[in-house]
Amino acid sequence: MNPWLIASYAIGLCLVPCADLCLRGTVERRLVGLELSGILITILLVLLTLGFHRLPFIDLALTLAILYLGATLVFVRFLEKHL
Amino acid sequence: MIRHDAILASLAVAVLCCWIGTLGTWRMRRPTQALHYLALPTGIGAIFLSIAVVLHTGWGSASAKTIAVCAVLIVTNAVGAHATARAIRTRQLDHWEAREQEGVEFIRKDRTA
Repeated sequence: MNPWLIASYAIGLCLVPCADLCLRGTVERRLVGLELSGILITILLVLLTLGFHRLPFIDLALTLAILYLGATLVFVRFLEKHL
Repeated sequence: MIRHDAILASLAVAVLCCWIGTLGTWRMRRPTQALHYLALPTGIGAIFLSIAVVLHTGWGSASAKTIAVCAVLIVTNAVGAHATARAIRTRQLDHWEAREQEGVEFIRKDRTA
C-alpha cells in the first residue's frame, strides 16, 4: 500500500456523495453531480496510474479530461432544451 | 526525505480539496450554489496533484501529461460550469439575460457614454 493508492481510495469514497447527487433530486442537481464525478474520476485515474506504477496509462486520464467537456456540453444542451 | 514529505503533503491537500468540494456540492440546496464547489477539486486539487507527480517522477512524460490533465480540468470546468449555470437559468426562466426588475446591476444598452 503506497500513498498514491491511499489517496485514490480516499477520493474513491467521494464518489458515494456523487452517486447520491446523481440518483436523487432535480435534473439540474443530477447534472452537477455528473460533472463532479467526471472531475473526481479523472483525478482518480491519475492516482491509480501512479499507485500501480503503470505510467503509460496516464493517457486514459488525459483522454477522459478532454472528452468530459464534450459530454458535459451535450448534457447541458439537452437540459436547456429538451429534458 | 523532504521530497517524500512534500509529496505526502501535496496528496493530502489534493484529497482534502476533493472532499471539501464534494461535500460542498452535496450539501448546497441550489444547483448554482453547488457549481461553485466544483472549482475546488479542479483548481487547487489538480494543481497539488500535479506538484506531487512532478516531485515523485521528476520532469518527464508522466509529469507533462499530469500538468496537461490539470490545465484541461481547469479550463473545461470554467467552460462547463458557465454553460451549466446558463442552461439552468434558461430552463427556469426561458431566458438567461438579466432583467431590470431582478435588481441585477448592469449597463443598459441604450445608455450612451
